[in-house]
Amino acid sequence: MSKEKVLIANRGEIAIRIMQACNHLGIDFVCVYTRNDEKSLHVSLARQKGEKNVLRISSYTDPNEIFSVADYTGCTAIHPGYGFFSENFRFARRAELRTAPLIFIGPRWEVIRDLGSKINTKHIAKSLNIPVIPGSDSPIYSEEEAEQIAIELFCLQKQAGIEIPSILIKASAGGGGMGIEEVNNLDTFRRAYRRIQNYARRQFGDEGVLIEQCVSDYHHLEVQILCSQHHEIVHFGTRNCTIQSAGRQKRVEIAPGFDPDIFEYTFDAREVLNKIVNYSIKLAKHVNYDSVGTWEWIITRDGNPYLMEVNTRIQVENEISARISRIKGHNPYPNLIKEQIRVAFGDRLGYTQDDITFEGTSIELRIVAEDTQRNFRPWVGKITRFEMPDFPFSRVYTHVPGDKSYKIPAEFDPNLALAIIWGKDTEEAKSHSKKFLENVNIEGEDGIFVNNPYLYKKIDEVLRF
Amino acid sequence: MDGKFIQDSHKTLADLLWRLNYISDVKGEKNWGGIDEIHKDIQQIQNYFFDIPDEKLIESILVLEHRVKLVEDRVYETLKPLDFVRITRSPQRFTTIDILENVYDSYTELGGEADCNVDPAIVAARATISRKIKGKTYRHQVMVIGHEKGSGEEYRNGGSAKPWGNEKALRFMKVAEREGIPVHSFIFTPGAFPIEDYPGAAQQIARNIFEMCKLSVPIVSFISEGGSGGAEAIGVSDIRLMASYGYYSVISPEGAAAIEGKIREGQKVPHELVEMCANSLNITADKNLKLGTIDRIVEEPRLGARKENFEFYKRLRFEMISATDEIILRTKNLKLFRSYILEMNEKREKGLPDDFDIQINWDLSDWESRKLLNLRSKKYRDIGSKFFTEKKGGLINAFKIFKDRATEGYYGIKYGLIRPNQRNIQRVIDDVAEEGSVILKTVAGKALTSIEKPVPHKESKAEEKSVFLSDWEGYFSPLVNEDGAVTCPNAQKYGCVDQWIPDLYGEFSGVCPTCGHHFPLEYHWYIKNLFDKGSIHEFNGNLSSINTLGFPGIDDKLNKAFKDTGLRSSMITFDATVEGIKVIVVMSVSDFRNGTVGACEGEKFVRACDRANVSRRPLLAYIHTTGGIRIHEGTVGVAQMPKCTMAVREYIDNGGLYIVVYDNNSFAGPVASFLGCSPYQFAIRSSKIGFAGPRVIRETTGQDIPPHYHGAKNALKRGHIQGIWDRRQFRKNLYDALITMGGPNLYYK
Repeated sequence: MSKEKVLIANRGEIAIRIMQACNHLGIDFVCVYTRNDEKSLHVSLARQKGEKNVLRISSYTDPNEIFSVADYTGCTAIHPGYGFFSENFRFARRAELRTAPLIFIGPRWEVIRDLGSKINTKHIAKSLNIPVIPGSDSPIYSEEEAEQIAIELFCLQKQAGIEIPSILIKASAGGGGMGIEEVNNLDTFRRAYRRIQNYARRQFGDEGVLIEQCVSDYHHLEVQILCSQHHEIVHFGTRNCTIQSAGRQKRVEIAPGFDPDIFEYTFDAREVLNKIVNYSIKLAKHVNYDSVGTWEWIITRDGNPYLMEVNTRIQVENEISARISRIKGHNPYPNLIKEQIRVAFGDRLGYTQDDITFEGTSIELRIVAEDTQRNFRPWVGKITRFEMPDFPFSRVYTHVPGDKSYKIPAEFDPNLALAIIWGKDTEEAKSHSKKFLENVNIEGEDGIFVNNPYLYKKIDEVLRF
Repeated sequence: MDGKFIQDSHKTLADLLWRLNYISDVKGEKNWGGIDEIHKDIQQIQNYFFDIPDEKLIESILVLEHRVKLVEDRVYETLKPLDFVRITRSPQRFTTIDILENVYDSYTELGGEADCNVDPAIVAARATISRKIKGKTYRHQVMVIGHEKGSGEEYRNGGSAKPWGNEKALRFMKVAEREGIPVHSFIFTPGAFPIEDYPGAAQQIARNIFEMCKLSVPIVSFISEGGSGGAEAIGVSDIRLMASYGYYSVISPEGAAAIEGKIREGQKVPHELVEMCANSLNITADKNLKLGTIDRIVEEPRLGARKENFEFYKRLRFEMISATDEIILRTKNLKLFRSYILEMNEKREKGLPDDFDIQINWDLSDWESRKLLNLRSKKYRDIGSKFFTEKKGGLINAFKIFKDRATEGYYGIKYGLIRPNQRNIQRVIDDVAEEGSVILKTVAGKALTSIEKPVPHKESKAEEKSVFLSDWEGYFSPLVNEDGAVTCPNAQKYGCVDQWIPDLYGEFSGVCPTCGHHFPLEYHWYIKNLFDKGSIHEFNGNLSSINTLGFPGIDDKLNKAFKDTGLRSSMITFDATVEGIKVIVVMSVSDFRNGTVGACEGEKFVRACDRANVSRRPLLAYIHTTGGIRIHEGTVGVAQMPKCTMAVREYIDNGGLYIVVYDNNSFAGPVASFLGCSPYQFAIRSSKIGFAGPRVIRETTGQDIPPHYHGAKNALKRGHIQGIWDRRQFRKNLYDALITMGGPNLYYK
C-alpha cells in the first residue's frame, strides 16, 4: 500500500486524525492549508513529515486547485474529511472520471448523490418499508399538490392528538438547516411554500420542495456503518446526539444510543436500537454502500423510529462508536478513519459482525469557543493558554497548539477540541467527563467564551428522554 | 433680348446643372464621364450671360443640352443595379410629400408636421384621390402613409423610421380600417432605424405586420426604396407596386458585401464586391417582378422620376386608383373583375388614359372584407413557393408525405367536425346544469365525464422518474467529453469558481451554478430534454433550401451545410409531447447557415402553423439562434416575414397558442415579424434579442450601444418578451405555459 499517497483536503483536527491514520497504515500524504491556517497544528504536524508534503492553497473549496495540487504532488487518493467536499458527489465524480483518476476516500459518487438527497433517501427507504417522517417523498412542483399534502399532514397530527400541529417545508436539494421553514397555520402555508421554492430555485437551481410533519419531541440517534467494496457490512453500534446547540450543532454525543440498564424508557429501548440498526443495514445493502457512513434517526417519545438522512462521510463523533467496540483479534479499539482509508483502497474488512463486541460507554465533548448564554454566538480572538488534561480514560483531538498562543480564524467555526471519554458504564463515563472538564484550562484575550460550563451541565441530561 | 427669353435661358441652364448633379448622384462619382467640363462651361455661360450675343447664347445652350443628353445616354446604357440604389437616394427624386401634393388632391397631414412630429421619417395623411369619368370628377377618401426622405432635411432621417414612427403608421392604418377607407402606402426607406427603445425596432415592425395581415381595408403599397424590414413595416398589401427605377432588397448591397466578404468594421469594402452583391441580390423592379415579390411595375421616365416629372404623377394616380379598383373588384363579381383588368391593361399599354370608364365604390361589405383578407392570405402564402425543393421521390418520402396528408385529414375531421359539436353540446349542458335542476345535474355530470378530455396530468408520470437519478443518465452534450475547467464570464463580478466541463455541460445544463450564466448548448440538448422520450416525429423534412437567386458560391455553402448538419434547412419542424400534451414545434437552429430564414424555412413554418391549426395543438417556436433573413434569397427572403406572420396570425385568431422562446442570438427579420408578433414570447437567460447587431447600429446611427443592450433583461424591460426562463426550468415553464395560456380552441381545453 506504500505506493499510495493521500491528499488531505481538509483542515483542523480531522486533518490531524487522517494524518495519524495514514502514518499507522504507512501511507504517504500531502497536506494543504490556507493563509489563515498557517499557525494551525495540522500544518506544523505535517511539516514534521517533510516540507514537501505541505502546500498552501487559496481556498479549501476550489476543486480546481485541490486537483491541481493532487496532480502536482503525484497523489493517488483524496481524503475529504468532513465538511468541504466530503458529501459533494460532483467532486467525487470528477475525481473518478478525470483523465488522471484519483481514489476518492468515501463512497462511490453515485451513492453520495443518491443518498445526499434527503428526498431520494426517503423515496428509497419507503420502498424498503423503512419508516420515514410522514410527508412527501418526491419533490413537489405545484402549489395545489403541496397544499393538499399540507392539509393531510395537519389532519394526521390532529388525529394523533397533537394540539399545535406543525409541518416543515424544506428545499429538496438543501441540507444543513438551510431552506427550512416551519408552518403552524395552514393559512400561512402558501406564502412560506413560495418563499422556500424561490429560495431553492435561487440557491440550488431546482425548485423542488418537500413537506413533512414537524417532529419536535425526539431523540437524535445515529447508526455507525462500515462497508467494504466486497459487499461486507458491519455496524459499530448506535450513538445518541440529542444535545445540540441552538443552531442544531451537536455538542455532546454518547454511545450507545440508549441505556435501558440505567434509565427508564416508555418503550423497549433495546428493540428500538435493534430495529434502527437492522433498517440501516437493509438500506446500506440495497444501495451497495462501500465506505463508512452514518444513518441518522429520529426516535419519538413513544418509541417510533424515523429515518432522517444518511451522512455519506466520516463524522466528527465517529470515535465514540469505535471506542466502545472491540474486534476479536485486534487491539485496542478500531480506528474508523483507518478503516475508511483501507476500504477505499479496496481492502477487505477481515472481520464480520460476529467478531465485534461492545464494551462500556463513550462520550464526546465538543469544546467550542462560543457564548452559550447568547444563542451560541461564536467567539473569535486569541487563545493564550490551552491546556487539556491527559487521563487514561480520555483522548483529545485538537488543532490548537498547546505551547503557543493561537488566533482563531474568523472564517471557520471556532471548534477548539474534541474530547473522547470512556467509562466501563454510563455512570462512570459521565463522572469521567465531569472530571475531564474540571481540568480543562483555556484562557484568551479579552473575555474569552468557551462552552465547557454548558457541557458540564448537559452531561446530566444525556440519554434521558 | 426680351425678359421671357432671359428667364427661360436661365432656367434651362439651371436645369442642366441639376441634371449634371443628378448624373453624379446616380453614378456616385463627382466627375463621371467628364461632366466637370460641362459643368464649368455652363457656369462660364452663366457668368458671362449678358455679355454673350443672343444667337451665340442659343447655340451654346443647345450644344450644352446636347452634351448633357449624350452623357445621360451613356448613363442609361451603363446602368447597373447599384445605380438604382443611388437613384432612389438622390435628393432630386420624388418623395411622399411630392406624391401627396401631386397625386392626391387635398391632404391633411396627421400626427405631426415637418420636424414637429413623433417621427418625421413617417408621414401619415388623410387625402382624396380623384378620377375623371366623362369629364366629371369623382373623389375617394384614402389614408396615405409613407416614408419621407425629405430633400436633404436632417430631421427626416433619410426615411429611416423609428419604432414610434411605425407605431404612428399603424395607428392611422387602424383609423382607416375603422373608417373603411383604403390605405395607400409609399415606401421610401433604406431600412428601419435599428434601436431598441420603448418599443424596439423589431418589436414594432412585428406588431405592424401582424396587424396589417388582417387589416380589413384594401392596401396598396408602392416601393421606391424598399429596405428590408423597414419596408415591410408599412408594406404588407394586397397589391404591391414598384417604381421601375426603385430598388427593393433584403439588405443594402454594401451591407451584404461586408457580410459576404467578412469585412471587419472600419475596413473598406471592395467596390467590386459591392457591385457583385448588388447584381446578385436581384434588387431591381423587373427582377422582383420575376421573383413574385411585387405585383406590377410603375414605369418612370428615363433615369427615374424627379420632383418635376408631372407626367409620372399622373401615371402614379392612375396606377393607385386602378390597383385599388382591382382589389375591390376581386372581392366582388368575378366577371366584372376580369373585363376590368383587361381594359386597364389595354389602357396601360396604349399610354396614359385621362378618363376612367366606371366609378367603383371603394366601400366593402363584411363579407367582402372577409374575402379580401382571404385573398391577401392566399397571396402571401404563395410567395416564394417556387424557391425550395420538395423531394417526392422514393418510397420513404412518399410514405412521409402520405402520412403528413393523412394526419391533416384525420385532424380536419376529428377537430374540425367532431370537436366543435362536442364543444357545443358541452356548452348547452353547462348552461342547463347551471339552472340547478338536481336531475339534470346528474345527467349532465355523466355526459360531461364522457365528453371531457382533461389535461393529461403530471402525476401519472411522476412514478417513473426521479429527479436525481435520471439527470446524469439522460442525454448530455458532447461538449462534456473534455477534462478541463471553464471560467464563467461573470467570474470577476460574482466570484464564480471555474467549473469542470463535464459538470457544467452535463448536470448543470451549461448554467453557471454561482451566477446563473447560461453557456450556449447545441440544439440537440433541447430536443432530448424538453420533450417526452420518443415523442418526436419530424414532418416536412423533405423540404430543402435552394440557391434562390443563383447567388455565386452559395451552392457550395449550402451543400456543405447539408453535409455537415444532416439538415436541409435551418428550421426543423416536428410533433412532440410535453408531459403528454401534444405540441407542434418549430426549431430554428444555428448549425445550418446560422439559423437564417429563407423560402424553405418560411414554407416549413407556414405548414407547421397549418398543422397546428387543424390538429388544434399548441405551436412552440424555439429559436436556438436566428441570424435574420437569409440575404442570399433577397426579397424572397424578406417576403417570408409577412408570409409567416400571415399563417401564424390565422393560427392565433383561430384560438391557438403560439409560444416563442428565444435562445442565444435572435436578430432581424424573423424577430421583426413572425416571432415578434407572438403574444407569448420568452427568452432563455443570457440570450440576446434585437433588430440589428451592435455594428449595424454603430454604422447607421453613429452611436455606441450600452452594454447588455440586446440582453434578455432589456427585452423584458421593453415589454418585448414576457419572461426570462432558466434553461433548467424550461420544460416545467413550458408545461405551465401550455396549461395556463392560449386560446379556447386547443385540443385539450
